[in-house]
Amino acid sequence: MHITEGFLPPLHAVAWTAASLPFVFFSVYRVNRLMREKPEIKLLLAASGAFAFVISALKLPSVTGSCSHATGTGLGAILFGPSVMALLGTIVLAFQTLLLAHGGVTTLGANVFSMAIAGPWVAYAVLRSAKGLKAPLAAGVFLAAMLGDLATYLVTAGQLALAFPDPASGIVGSFLKFAGVFAPTQLPLAVVEGLLTVVIVNFLREYSGDELQNLRFLPKPLVSEARP
Amino acid sequence: MKARNSGLLAVAVALIVASVLIGSRREGTEFAGTDGQAMKTIATLNPDYQPWFGFIWVPSPEIASGLFALQAALGAGVLGYYLGFKRGQRQGRQSRSDAGD
Repeated sequence: MHITEGFLPPLHAVAWTAASLPFVFFSVYRVNRLMREKPEIKLLLAASGAFAFVISALKLPSVTGSCSHATGTGLGAILFGPSVMALLGTIVLAFQTLLLAHGGVTTLGANVFSMAIAGPWVAYAVLRSAKGLKAPLAAGVFLAAMLGDLATYLVTAGQLALAFPDPASGIVGSFLKFAGVFAPTQLPLAVVEGLLTVVIVNFLREYSGDELQNLRFLPKPLVSEARP
Repeated sequence: MKARNSGLLAVAVALIVASVLIGSRREGTEFAGTDGQAMKTIATLNPDYQPWFGFIWVPSPEIASGLFALQAALGAGVLGYYLGFKRGQRQGRQSRSDAGD
C-alpha cells in the first residue's frame, strides 16, 4: 500500500500530510498519557508495535501471482484504541521510507493516513460493533484485523484515484482500477492477518488477563480475585 | 488455547502455501509487489506524469534484504520477549503458590 516517493502530485502530498499531522500529534499525546497513567502496559504497547513491525516487513505471495504485505496495525488499535496506532504506524512507515526506499517522504502523509489512521479506526469500529452485537470475541478480532487491513488498501486506492483520475471514467473508474490492483492480492493476506491477530489475542487472554482488563479490552471481574 | 492457536497458524500457513501454488499457475507470474503494479497503473492513466521527488537514499538490493530482515527481527524479537516474559511470569506465580500450599 506504499505510495512510492514522488508519485503523488505536490498538492496531494501536502494535503495528506496536513490531514495526518493532527492525528500523529494527538497520538503522541495519547501514548505519553497512557505510559504515565498505566506504566504497567508499556511492554504490551511495545509488543503491539513490534507486531506491526514484523507483519509489515513480510511480503507475502498471493493467489493473484503478486506480492503484498499485511499491516499489523489492527492488534494495537483494538487493544489501545485507534489513536495510539497513528504514532506506531508512522514509526514503521518512517523506518521503511528512510532505510528501505519503500514508500517515500513526500508520500509519508498519505501512507500514514491509510495504514496508521484509516486502518486502525476501521479495525476499532468493527470490534466495537462486534462486541455490541455480542459476537464471540475471536470473531470480532478476526474481522477487525482483516477489514482494517483491507480498508488500508482501499484508502490507498482512493488516494491514487483522486490524484490520477481516469481520462474516460473519472475518479470512480480510476478507483476501481487501483482497487483491482490491490484487492484481489490483499484479500487472502488480510485473512492471514486476521488469523495471526486472533492467535496473539488468544495468547493475551491466557497470559495477560490483567493488562487486558486494565485496558478494558476484557471486562473487569466483579469480585477482585485474591492474588496467590 | 494451544490447540486452537496451532490450528489457526496451520490455516494461515496453508493459505500462503496455497497462494503460491495457485499464483504460480497463472501465466507470467513473477510475484511482483502491488506497490509497483500501482505505479504501472499510474503510468497508463497519466503517461505524462513524472515523479517530482526522488528517494533520498536507495539501498542496494543486498543491503535492503538485510534491512528487511532487521525489521522483521526487531519486531519478532520484542514480540517474542513479551510473550516469553508473560508465560514465565505466570509459571513463576504458579510454582510460588504451589510451594506456599
